[in-house]
Amino acid sequence: MIVYVVQRVLLTGLMLFGLICITFTVSNVAPSDPAALAAGPDATRDMVETVRREYGLDKPIWEQFVRYVSDLARGDFGRSIVSTRAVGTELAQYFPATFELVALAMGLGVLVGVPLGMLSAVYKNRPFDHLVRVFAVSGVALPAFWFGLVLQLTFAAQLELLPTSGRLDIASPPPPPVTRMFLVDSLLAGDWQTFADAFAHAILPAIVLSFPCLASILRVNRAEMVEVLSADYIVAARAHGVSPWRIVAVHALRNAMLPTLAMIGLRYGWMLGSTVLVETVFDWPGIGLYAVSSAIAGDFKPVMGVTLLIGLNFMIANLVVDLLYGWLDPRLRAAQ
Amino acid sequence: MTRISRRGLLAGTAAAGLVSAAGPSFSFERVGDRKILVFSGGQPVPVLDPHVRYDWSTRMIQQSVFDGLAKYVNNPPQIVPWLAESWETSADAKTWTFKLVGNAKFHNGDPVDAEAVRFSFERGLRLNKGVAWMLSAYLDPTGIVAVDPRTVRFNLKAAFPAFITYIPLWFIVNPRQVMANQVGSDMGEAWLTTNDAGSGPFKIRRFEPQSVIQLDAVEDYWKGWPMGAQNRLAGVVYRIVREPAPRRAALQRGEVDVITEQTPDDYDQLAAARGFVVPNEVGVTTFAVTMNTTKGPTADINVRKAIAHAMDYDALIQIHNGAAKLMTSPFPDAIPGYVAVPGMPRKDLAKAREFLSRTQWANGGFELEYVHVQGLEDPRRIGLALLNSLQPLNIRLNIVAQPWPTMVQRGARPDTAPDMVSVYVTPVSMDPDVIAGKYHPRSHGQFWGMHHLTNAELASAIEAARSEPDQARRLAMYGDIQRKVVDLQPEIFGMLANRRWGMRDYVKGFVYCPLRLTGEMDLYSLWIDAR
Repeated sequence: MIVYVVQRVLLTGLMLFGLICITFTVSNVAPSDPAALAAGPDATRDMVETVRREYGLDKPIWEQFVRYVSDLARGDFGRSIVSTRAVGTELAQYFPATFELVALAMGLGVLVGVPLGMLSAVYKNRPFDHLVRVFAVSGVALPAFWFGLVLQLTFAAQLELLPTSGRLDIASPPPPPVTRMFLVDSLLAGDWQTFADAFAHAILPAIVLSFPCLASILRVNRAEMVEVLSADYIVAARAHGVSPWRIVAVHALRNAMLPTLAMIGLRYGWMLGSTVLVETVFDWPGIGLYAVSSAIAGDFKPVMGVTLLIGLNFMIANLVVDLLYGWLDPRLRAAQ
Repeated sequence: MTRISRRGLLAGTAAAGLVSAAGPSFSFERVGDRKILVFSGGQPVPVLDPHVRYDWSTRMIQQSVFDGLAKYVNNPPQIVPWLAESWETSADAKTWTFKLVGNAKFHNGDPVDAEAVRFSFERGLRLNKGVAWMLSAYLDPTGIVAVDPRTVRFNLKAAFPAFITYIPLWFIVNPRQVMANQVGSDMGEAWLTTNDAGSGPFKIRRFEPQSVIQLDAVEDYWKGWPMGAQNRLAGVVYRIVREPAPRRAALQRGEVDVITEQTPDDYDQLAAARGFVVPNEVGVTTFAVTMNTTKGPTADINVRKAIAHAMDYDALIQIHNGAAKLMTSPFPDAIPGYVAVPGMPRKDLAKAREFLSRTQWANGGFELEYVHVQGLEDPRRIGLALLNSLQPLNIRLNIVAQPWPTMVQRGARPDTAPDMVSVYVTPVSMDPDVIAGKYHPRSHGQFWGMHHLTNAELASAIEAARSEPDQARRLAMYGDIQRKVVDLQPEIFGMLANRRWGMRDYVKGFVYCPLRLTGEMDLYSLWIDAR
């Protein structure tokens, strides 16, 4: 087991280095001059050079790379050329908002996706199953920005049930920062009004973000359940007179959850990436929005920072799933 | 029968309660009996530091938090005294002396004195960012002298009659606060990114660059409040909503009071609805399709003239639902020295064919690339109008959308600059040189110089006008420059789109000044007239 863990951790480190190389290369081949953009449209050549020197962009590319990697090793993501602040500080400021949204969306995806998948398998090829299939296909197919705008215009603009965008009503001050996740912080402060406000703001973006994830969890869970429900031990349980719901919800679901768990791990990283679209539509000030505004401004350090952070999260999620697999599935452990 | 458990019922009620508790507010926000105005636009405010960066949203906040020696107001734009109560200049326009008001103070209570002014200009020049280009060619930090606590003198390196037109764009910061927060030798740059060291009518309460900036009105603002102390706002919130549709929805719901950066259709519908007003003012942002004068068919002046005479100019007005006017000169009307140039190209296919017949492409048969900024709808539609316009000349148009950084990077060099690029330019000051400079070789490499026009006669005329101290002669020189530019046709001169905002009708005190940047408003004069 220890060898297995060490192997996985080493592989993750290697992948991270690969990611650093790729993000650095992509950022530097993009045809734009970050210094000229940051210096502003009216800047003289001398002003552009000042910015270039200040951010080390006048150095040869290999030197910039070595410096970037050694800075990263010290936990320094560099400085944003637009806001002039440390990218690490800004990531720490924006990531909790994203994490809050992703956690909410993931919760929604699991809580709705797993039971729907289970029911679809039970009512296989019946009208309910077909209906859920249509729902699942739309979940995967609908583009997030379109779906987000439609929800916004319907529930916020027309029905006026929910706020259009942002994390809090503009007049409400944010709760005292502990985790910087407003839902958690408002609970910690015992401020129910802010909690309700933050929750209302999170509903629409969480739905949009969770929809594709919910659909995948649903389909994977259904497929596994269909397979498991035809297994011998289920037949045996039925023959023993175990109640049908106990068979489905306890015996079958537990065995069908393994691939679903893998899916959840993958989807977590994928969802962090999708926040780029969702956060832009809902003006949710998280890392997705940060990445978009930085990319538009040709500000690459934040873009690389966000990519690495998402990549790192993806890898950690995968690592955890791998380790959980090893722990849950004795066959895998034996194979090591 | 479906049974609803007690726990389920409680959970359902709680969820419904949560949603309704956080329901939208249908009127303006308040603090006590004072109101908060909410302004919404799509552009963030990454940096507060007035010497490091400016764009419309950033400057709107900077203008609210900081004061300048003078300020741009009204239409046509005027420069009025602000922190300086008066100024005088030497006959050769090289020495400028400003007398400061005696009662101005920074938000922390420190007086705004000549040393603060000297420091602020020195800081702007030394940081060499943002506003530095405006004065760096004429002013050294050593040329700024605090003569006495209320007098500042600027000794310029050369005559610069336009000096005063840039003064309103240089804001004064509190040296004590800024230097107390210096890191290394950054002159407080890191600190001033998000912190307030100004003397303006508002101070920062909350600064979240990507989402919300909340300002509190300064109760005893040294300049007083134009709407009277009893009517002044408690503060202003600038809220960033990136998509136009939710921004408009927020205005209609009463979540925000003023919006900008909407589509022409949005504005027309708001103007027709009850409870909204849509200021509709002639702007100074020029729209041009620059043509690469160094390579390909557009290097030939007759091709450029043929294209300019084939363009369907009416389409430019239609695309803006009528809220635009065609340019009658390379200069916008509000800039001093503007003249309506006779013979500005208008659609005339016979003339277009005649110009084309003088070239090696008498029957057309070539393709041009037209680049516009990805995501911008108006330039895309203008590209389509141009495509239609060029068909009778047998010229094909390849419309390409590119991200702004890519477009600017390509346009920086004559060999990579596209054949045609759509460009909006907003003059930052009243100085005619700002616009004339677009056609001087110093513009090469800038986004508005993608035509890479080089004409020695024009360039020397622009240089001469720049330093001419006699105002009447100077303006006459700009008349000749405008005619010469039209003659060289480095671009299709397009239109000046109107500046529009969507506002609730209870928002009062809006004063239009064309020299504010696109969506920017002067928040100082705004108030809410409602119970």
